[in-house]
Amino acid sequence: MTNAIWVVAELSESGAPLDISLEALSAAQKLAAANPADITAVVLAGSNTDLSQAQNLLGQYGATKVLALKHDLLEQYQVELYTKALADAIGAQQPQIVLAGSTSTTRDFLPRVAVRVQAGLAPDAIDLAFGANGQLEITRPTYGENMRAVVHTATRPQMVSLRAKAFAKAKPDSGASAALETATPDLSADMAHTKLTQRVKGETKTGKKLEEAEIVVSGGRGLKGPENFPLVEGLAEALGAAVGASRAVVDAGWRPHAEQVGQTGKTVSPQLYVALGISGAIQHQVGMSSSKTIIAINKDGDAPIFDIADFGIVGDVFEIVPALTKAIKEANMAAC
Amino acid sequence: MNIVVCIKHVPDTAHLKYDAQDNLAQDNLEWVMNPFCEYAVETAIRMKEAHEGATLTAICMGGPQAKDILKRAIAMGCDDAVLLQDDAFNGADPWATAQTLAAGIRKHVPNFNVLLLGQFATDSMSGVTGPALAELLGVPSITFCKKAELKDATTLSVERETERGSEHYDMTLPGVVCVMKCDYEPRIPAIKGVMKANRTEIPTLDKAALGLSDEQIGAKGARVEVTKLYRRPKKEGGRKIDGSDAQAAVSQLMSFLREQKLV
Repeated sequence: MTNAIWVVAELSESGAPLDISLEALSAAQKLAAANPADITAVVLAGSNTDLSQAQNLLGQYGATKVLALKHDLLEQYQVELYTKALADAIGAQQPQIVLAGSTSTTRDFLPRVAVRVQAGLAPDAIDLAFGANGQLEITRPTYGENMRAVVHTATRPQMVSLRAKAFAKAKPDSGASAALETATPDLSADMAHTKLTQRVKGETKTGKKLEEAEIVVSGGRGLKGPENFPLVEGLAEALGAAVGASRAVVDAGWRPHAEQVGQTGKTVSPQLYVALGISGAIQHQVGMSSSKTIIAINKDGDAPIFDIADFGIVGDVFEIVPALTKAIKEANMAAC
Repeated sequence: MNIVVCIKHVPDTAHLKYDAQDNLAQDNLEWVMNPFCEYAVETAIRMKEAHEGATLTAICMGGPQAKDILKRAIAMGCDDAVLLQDDAFNGADPWATAQTLAAGIRKHVPNFNVLLLGQFATDSMSGVTGPALAELLGVPSITFCKKAELKDATTLSVERETERGSEHYDMTLPGVVCVMKCDYEPRIPAIKGVMKANRTEIPTLDKAALGLSDEQIGAKGARVEVTKLYRRPKKEGGRKIDGSDAQAAVSQLMSFLREQKLV
């Protein structure tokens, strides 16, 4: 077994690694600093996919090698084919640790890889450290974000997916580069039993994705109706933020589920979370209370959101939000 | 057409209770059907209703009290239910849970066509059991499903939500789908359903009945071990100001944002 840390890197449509993959690489660099190891970024891609941009960036973020698993059948994500390609590679090279960003893709196929290579998988980690025995100690949220569990796995590789924004992205080293190793997994079309028939791009007004945004502006019942959500979107646009929503307004059909923050929606941990007309039931807090700074505007001074807000305004969102949006825009202009 | 839904009995995470040391007050928790499992059950019932002659079985690995949620599943519209229960199952991780569920399915509904689970359990929050179970059973899986409908007896049409939007898949059955929140809400059991649930015998299968060894199940079979569980440090509130003068409140907020270097 080699003392290697693998980072499963996902690429955007433009061919650059996702931020969450670079965060995982940065986490791998920290681990390698504590306990020397080679860092390999693993990319699954189509045979003709150009990986030069990815190779450059992955090298700058700490990969010493890029292992490209290339096959015509890997052009598009497919659960059984991705599982086999990665599991076979792990079996052949036996890394000690396999990290990945926690995304809808890795959540879909890493559990299967773990079963196939007979390893333990800890998903959605928020902290990583080596314990006294050299084993990874993995911290992850449990019980609706109310508890933290520290877990470890005695089997190898130790597989961990990392929650978005929980690990800081290191500064790229423009002088660093990664070697490219290409392998062709043994795959055939009849291994796949799911077929993508249609892909619908999610529409976001501000072009920001909830999971990746540094700032999130969410609206709740206090907005009184879907026709008033432009208030939320306007502030989000001024701040360069993604738009979120409370469960109440999603259930009422005002906003799509993709925007729901909370227990049955998404968990976000941006630098700044702005809650507009959201009372902040525990189910909502589950999805946002690990945000670095929380601002709440709500007319009910007793709303539970104020218990966790760093700055709260007890007042009318219809008066305060337009004034705030204007002030932010002016600040943006002054900064130009 | 045999439809199976696996459900989990979890503490209600909105009403957790703690002891003086901030540990979970295990004896004092309120237990419910995992919220995502409610959506899985609802989706399974809709599937059954749309496919004449289909049967729907609910399976749960849990303690004796987990029968409550199996009864609820029957009251909602499942035909029958089975509880996988043995003290040796305690301390299972998703891997050991998947092993146990796989044995239960092979024993009780070996000819399943569609198997549904909730995307996450709100206690462990891992989302691993569903795809791991599919891998053990050697069938395809799709996670983050917000809609799943039978196209015909061998094809399931699935809509899945991702960070980028949605993806539509056709899955060749048998297969596993992990259900998240849907565009519809789980139904509330009607009185007729509750009466049926009360009449329905729920068999219990233990590790011997399932032919499982200690190494495959419970804490012994687990690959991920919890070494520490602690209450998350509570986030404290900060300033709360009166916003009756909107302009004044906004300028205070702007000063705060500047101090924090957020604008």
